Formats: sequence, structure tokens, C-alpha cells
Amino acid sequence: VTAQGTTGETTTDWSLLARIGQKDEDALSALYDRYSGLVFSEAKRILHDTGAAEEILQDLFYQVWRTAERFDPARGSLAGWLVVAARNRAISKLRRKSGKTEEVDEKGVSLKVDVESRAAQSLLLDKVRTVMGNLPENQREALECAYFEGMSHTEIAEKTGQPLGTVKTRIRSAMEALKKVLS
Amino acid sequence: LSSEEHIRFEELELLALGALPEDEAAALQAHISGCDECAVKLAQARGDAALLAFAVQQERPAGTIRAELMARIRANREAEAHSAWPVKPVEENRGGVAGQKADSGSGWWNWVLVPAALALALVSFALSWQNRRIASELQRERKAAEAMIRDREQIERLVGVLAAPDTVTVKLAGTSDAANASGVVKFNAKAGIVLYSADLPALPKDKSYQMWLVPVNGAPISAGLLGPGGHAWGSMWTADVPANTPAKAFAVTIEPVGGAPQPTGPKVLLGAA
Repeated sequence: VTAQGTTGETTTDWSLLARIGQKDEDALSALYDRYSGLVFSEAKRILHDTGAAEEILQDLFYQVWRTAERFDPARGSLAGWLVVAARNRAISKLRRKSGKTEEVDEKGVSLKVDVESRAAQSLLLDKVRTVMGNLPENQREALECAYFEGMSHTEIAEKTGQPLGTVKTRIRSAMEALKKVLS
Repeated sequence: LSSEEHIRFEELELLALGALPEDEAAALQAHISGCDECAVKLAQARGDAALLAFAVQQERPAGTIRAELMARIRANREAEAHSAWPVKPVEENRGGVAGQKADSGSGWWNWVLVPAALALALVSFALSWQNRRIASELQRERKAAEAMIRDREQIERLVGVLAAPDTVTVKLAGTSDAANASGVVKFNAKAGIVLYSADLPALPKDKSYQMWLVPVNGAPISAGLLGPGGHAWGSMWTADVPANTPAKAFAVTIEPVGGAPQPTGPKVLLGAA
């Protein structure tokens, strides 16, 4: 990372955030270009509703615009925060009655991988899809029920007819496999 | 879980995935709020869980969303610039005549107290009336400000639609009933917004021009009136139509004043989408 906040050809998220904090619309636009596809696709995968996913997308970037100064480069990942916040809001919409999900603060997600360039995102997408494709069906199902459907482990156990301990083991094994993409 | 014990990473992973029942999640959150070490580990677990977002088939959002976002930001900046409008809350007037009972035996004292009480009652009534008037004025001003914000949001929305890459332009040509007439339509199917202008001859007072969206399937859908009863925006007219309705054509007909649910009169403008 250079003093100008760039890694090679890519301006870093934090450099863009600093400019957004100065109310630079071009910087927000660049950040939107970088992550809107990721956030929108995730929200739509959870909600199966284009309009609702677009609403979450717009609200999240509007929040970044208004509260850019709250993000702390030393303590979190902006990309990580965007996808976790999008996921939580989508699950909250999905399960509106339960009010189950939490709002993640701007320092609360540490994503240990670079996704600031299109190439890096593309590489990670390939790796994660490969891992998910190679997971045993029951592990993948447990992980997806939790993350994309907002089900608790007890709900997954009820749905699959498996003991709670088995569900926990499946989730843990799947997460272990998934984290290997980081190594 | 005691305050000295840290949460196992497996539990933090389940919390990050949203896979814990509410009561268990709340218990862990209570510990984490006072434990930096577990908070750092939870941030790590959330980062791991966030990898799942990369398992999703990627799609690009519609171009109108960016335009709407930027319009919202500009509207917000303008609103903030104009929000230095100090509004003092109106305190309810608590003045009034104290519930004193004049002592019937106090003689001349009544001559002082009764007029004073009457004067106070009058002042109290005047203040109370003034407070109501100020409160009412403030409410009117607030409503006016809210209406201005709504208008601005609508304008930003329309500007966003005009700038959106998926907005199509349809040119309308006069039919044999109005050979010299012409018009142009800007249509965004996703947002369900039609903007148009037309050069048309004057009509008798009991007639109106009405714009129609002719969908690929089904009956024509009214897209508003060009004249009284229509929604003007600068030199253009605008109307909302059901979103995501693919258009085959746009047409303008002459209808009874106020419009008709389906076209009944002669067609004067037509253009294929």
C-alpha cells in the first residue's frame, strides 16, 4: 500500500473511505462499483427478491456515505462489514417477525483476504465455489441453512432430523474446509 | 459462562453464522460486550463466515440503483445544507388563574384580587391562543418543508430515471387524425416510470389527450393525461405504470375530459417501443 493508498492499480478501500468522509461522490461511486455486485447478489440469494435486495444495497452504501468516519482500518474489513451487514439485514427482512439478527458495528468484521481488485474477487469466488462444491451435501446444507436462511442449529436439526451435535459437527467441518481458501 | 472464561471459537463461529438460538446468542453477546479478546475472535469468525458471500452466483444490480443512490445523497446534502432551521419547541402555556378562593370576609382585598384574577385569565387566554397559533403555524411550515422534500425526492427520482442506461426513448408520430403532431416518450420499465412531451393541437374543453402504454401482452395501460388531471414536470408529463411491464408501443388518444380506463377515441400519436 502506497502513501496515496493504492495497491498497484487499485485504490484501497480505506483510501476511498477517507475521500467519502470528505463527501467525495466519485469515491463512493468507485466503492459501489467494487462491491455492489457482491452485496446485491448475496441479498438476492437470501431474499429471492430483486427489489428488496436493491433496497438493502442502496441503504448500505447510503450508510457508508453518512458514517464513513466510523470505519476503522485498524480493526476491520470494509468488504467484510458490507457482506455481513447485507446478510444480517436480508435475514432480518426474511424473518421479519422474529427480529433475530444483530446489527454489526463498523469494526466488527475481520476478513483476512484481499478483495479490493476485480481479479482478487474473481479468484476468491472461484476458490469458495470450488470448496462449497466439494463439501459433502449434508455439510453444505447445514452451512447454507444457517447463513442464507437464518436458521439456528436447533431449527436445522429439526429440519434434517439429525441430532443437534451432528448438525454442529457438520457446520464446524464445513467452516474448517471453507477457511482453507484463506491459506 | 463465567466472566473469566473465554468463549470457544466454535461457538463464536456459530454466532457469526447466525446459527445460535436467540437466548444463547444473547448470553454470548453479553460476555463479548465486556471481553475484548472474544470481540476480536468474533470479528475473525464473522470474516470467515463472510466468505460464504463469495459462494453466490454474482449478478450486477440495475443501473437505476446507482442513480437513485447518488440522487439520494445529493438530496440529503441539500437537506442538510438547509436544515439550519432552528425550531424552538413550543412550550405549553401553563399560566392561568390559581385555584384560590377569595375570602368573602376580606373586604377591600376582593377589589384588588378579582380584577387581578380576571386580568390574569385574559392574559392566560391570550397566551394560550397565541401558543396554539404558533404551534399551528409550525405544523404548517413542517408540512410545507416535508412536501418540498417529497417534491425534491420525486425530481431526483425522475432525473435518475432520465439518466439511467436502461431508460428507452420512443418517438411518437402523428396519425392521419393529427398528421403534424409529434411526441417523445422516455420509459423505464424497471422503475415503472413514463416521461413524455408532445406537440398536439388544442382540444375542445370536454376532451383530453391520454397517453397509453401498449404492453407486449394484455390491454393498454393508462400512462396519464396531457393536460388538466395529468402530472406535469417542467415541460414534460409523467406517470407511474406497473413496474417491469415490457412495452410494445406508446399511443395518445383523444378521450373525454378526465380520461378513460381504456382507449375509446381516435389515436393521434403512435410509436413502437
